[in-house]
Parts: sequence; C-alpha cells; structure tokens
Amino acid sequence: MDHTLLTAALACLAAGLAAVAVLLLRQRQITARLRRRNDALAYEMRLREDELRHLVTTRLPALAEVPRDQPVTVPGPLHRRPGRADELQPVLDLAADLVARARTQAEQSATATLRAMMRAVQSLANEQQVAISAMQERHDDPAVLEDLLRIDHMNAQLGRRAQATAVLSGSWPGQQRSASSLTDVVRGATSRIRDYLRVRVTSEVGVAVVSRAVEPVVLALAELLDNAARHSQPSTPVEVNFQQAHNGVAIMIDDAGVAMDGEDLERATRTLTGRRRADVHALGDPPQVGFAVTGLLAARYGFSVSVDTRSPYGGVRAVVFLPTALLTRLPAETAPVPAAPEPPDRTRTTPGGLVKRRRVSAAPAEQGGPAPARPGRPARDVAAGMGAWQRGTRSGRATAPPDSDPPASEGENSRP
Amino acid sequence: MKARRRALVRPHVVTGGRAHPSRNIFDLVTLVAGTGRAAAGLSPEKRRIAALCRDGALSVAEIAGHLALPISVTKVLVSDLVDSGHLSPRVPTPADEPSKIEILQEVLDGLRARL
Repeated sequence: MDHTLLTAALACLAAGLAAVAVLLLRQRQITARLRRRNDALAYEMRLREDELRHLVTTRLPALAEVPRDQPVTVPGPLHRRPGRADELQPVLDLAADLVARARTQAEQSATATLRAMMRAVQSLANEQQVAISAMQERHDDPAVLEDLLRIDHMNAQLGRRAQATAVLSGSWPGQQRSASSLTDVVRGATSRIRDYLRVRVTSEVGVAVVSRAVEPVVLALAELLDNAARHSQPSTPVEVNFQQAHNGVAIMIDDAGVAMDGEDLERATRTLTGRRRADVHALGDPPQVGFAVTGLLAARYGFSVSVDTRSPYGGVRAVVFLPTALLTRLPAETAPVPAAPEPPDRTRTTPGGLVKRRRVSAAPAEQGGPAPARPGRPARDVAAGMGAWQRGTRSGRATAPPDSDPPASEGENSRP
Repeated sequence: MKARRRALVRPHVVTGGRAHPSRNIFDLVTLVAGTGRAAAGLSPEKRRIAALCRDGALSVAEIAGHLALPISVTKVLVSDLVDSGHLSPRVPTPADEPSKIEILQEVLDGLRARL
C-alpha cells in the first residue's frame, strides 16, 4: 500500500516536473522571440528617429536653400530599405510645394512694387528731360548750356537705368516715338550712356526703324553700347557699323576690350536668346542688367542679338539684327532739298552785292514781301525789308519744323 | 510755343558735348550761306544745315527752327561748319549811309505798322 502510494506520488511528481520542464522550455522560447521582436522594434525605432532627425536637420533645410530655377535636389533618406518607400517623401513634397509657392508670391509682390516705383522714377526723369529741353531753348549762354548738357546727359542715363529696371520687372519701355532713321536710333542710344564720346558711327544706311520698335531698339542698343564701353579701355573707340542683309539690317557694335571666355559667353548667349530666365530676381550680385534687358526686349519685339563673334579689335562684337518687319523708309526726310523752287529771275546776290535770302519750305507766303532791291535803297525799303525779315525769322521759329510730329508728346510717359 | 518733342538724339551727342561755339560771331540774325563744299563725313545735323544753306543764306534762328534744335546748340554746329569751310558767315551789312535817328525811327514805325 505504502509502495503504491509512493509510486503514484512519484509518477505525479514526474508528470509535474515534465510539465514544468515543458512550460519552462516554452517560456524560454517565448521570451527569446519577444526579445528578438523587441530588438527589431528598437532598431526600427532608432532608424525612424534618425530618419526624422535627418529630415529636420538636413533634408528640409536643403530644400529651402535650393537656388531658384534649379531642379529640386534634396538628399535622400539615410537608410534605404528594399521594398519600402520613403515614408517621409510626402512631407518633403508638401514642403517643396509650400516653399515654391511662398517664393513665387514674394517675388510677384516685390516685382510689382519695383515696377510701380520705377514707373514713378521714369516719369520724373521724363519730366525732367522736358524741363531741361525747355531750358536749353531758353538760355543762350554757352556756360549755361554746358551745364545743361551735362545735366541732360546724366538725366538720360538715369532714365535709361529706370527704363531697364522697369523692363526687367515686366513693364514695356513706354515712350512712343516716331519712326526714326537707324543712325538716329544709334545716336539716341549713344545719348544715354556715360562714355558717349567714344561711340563712332561710321557707316550709314537709308533705312529707319518703325515707330513701335524705336524705343526698345534704342534701349537695347544703349545697354550693348554701355557694355562695350564699360569693358574696354577708356581711350579706345566703340565702333558701330551697319550691314544690310536681304531680310533685315545688322547693327554691329565692336569694342576693343577683352573677349568673353567660354562660360561667360555661354551664359550671355542663353540670356540673350531668352533661354535663361531674365527678371529682377535672376540677375545675380552684382546684377548683370545689360544682357538681360536686351534679351527680354529682343524676344518681345522680334529682333535678335548675339555676342558670339570677336570684334576686329580683339574685343566683343555685338550684333543686333533687325528683321524687315521692324524696318521702314522715312518719307523724304532724308532728302534735304528745300521745297520752294527759286524763281528764275532771282540771283544769289542783289545788285548791291548783298546776299539774297531764300525762304526754305517752312514759312508761309507773306503779304508785302521785301521790296525789290535796288542800288541805294531808301530808308523805308530798308525798314520794310527788315520788318519782313524779322517776321520771317519769327514764323520760321514758330512754325513746326517739317520733320516734327503731331503732338504725341503729351501722355507719352511710361506705360505699363 | 508748345514744348517740342523730347528729341531722341540729345544735344550733347549732337555737339559732341561742346557748348561753346568755336567763334563768337553769331547771334539770332547772323546769316550764313553755304560754300558748296561737299558735306560728306559730317554728322546728320551738319549735313542738314549744309543742305539748307546750299542755295542761299539763312539766319541762325531759322536753322535752329528747321532742325528743332536750341539756338545755342545750333550756334556750335554752325560755327563748326564755318571753321570747316562749309558755311561762310555774312555779317548783316549796314545800310549805305550811316544810321540816323530819323531812319531808326522810321524803321521802328515801319515795324510797328506791320507787326
């Protein structure tokens, strides 16, 4: 009996021990699995933390600092795991979108402000030019004129700068001009640069620029001439030549400065052909205005500009090509022959040896012209002659000169 | 007189920056006459002056009117042209006999009557 009991107890104990052993073994397996899982999770957690830190400290700042006009390139995630997409990419995309939008908005408002301010400066410069012109008419003293010429010159440069900035901020050049000969267009451009005395216009062609293109072409030429003068020795000339082609006219500006190297040339060409964005936000520091303005105007008005040839003097040759669409011929303006034909009986001197005056086109016919000249004129005739003469002078000055235009001068201030 | 259009070519380019005529013999009524010398190689304004004066004499004031340039600028150009031999100045010739008060008075009366 005792033996049986003992056996049973032992059997129970053995079974219990076995159960405990099994349990222990299982527990151990579970623990090991949990530990592994825990490790994996901790690893994953660390990765994410790293990734997040990387996003905040590296990727987002890099995104904010991407220079404008360049593709957004941001460092990738720290750890790439096969089969798993970058979970933070949507964050990055959103941020990129926000950055782009904020930038565009800021630029638009800055551009609008600049445009409005430049319009004010431009119209002031225009008003000032009118005032200077009036003073030039009024004062006969060479010393005063000298000062006025200097002020006029500075004002012309000021106006050009304002105009260039306005064009870069999206304005039109403004001013309406009548069709002008190519020579005058080049000289108009010359009027607006600092070293105007160095510019030489050697050849001449009989064509003119159509009214709507005068101001833009003048502005573009002024920028090119200014560039040419600025990048060459002060003692060297800047030469302007014309070359007539079958579908337009080329204006060549040669300087004796240094040629552009490959990289500069490439950038200039891209700017001039409009392949590189040109506005006030993309000029660099110091701002490179000239080519940007020229490129914009060329694209807008349909002429072309290139700077990729060398001038015969070793510097740069800038070529502005005006297509036939922008050219015209001036009616008779170039024909300088005075209109009124001379009556056959008049000779160039009176019998008394005085010079005979001719009326040239402008003055209307007068009642009671000068008395026929005789030797030994009586005083009354002399008086009559002088009276007529003075009237002639006055009417000659008062009558609009033949080449002036109807009063387009009003309201020709800057236009958006 | 209405304000002239703002000229495209500014006066400093027209005169090459000079404001002082090379000779100081001109006033509004000075007559100049062309000498017939070829005008090749001159600036457009000077060529126009030479063409205007080719067949007779014009006063400085009239030339300025035709070219739409200020008188003082015109004087610079005209005096250049005189220097280069394209124009010759004709100082207004005095009357045959010396002026007398009565003549001047008559001149004045005549002018008043006509103007």
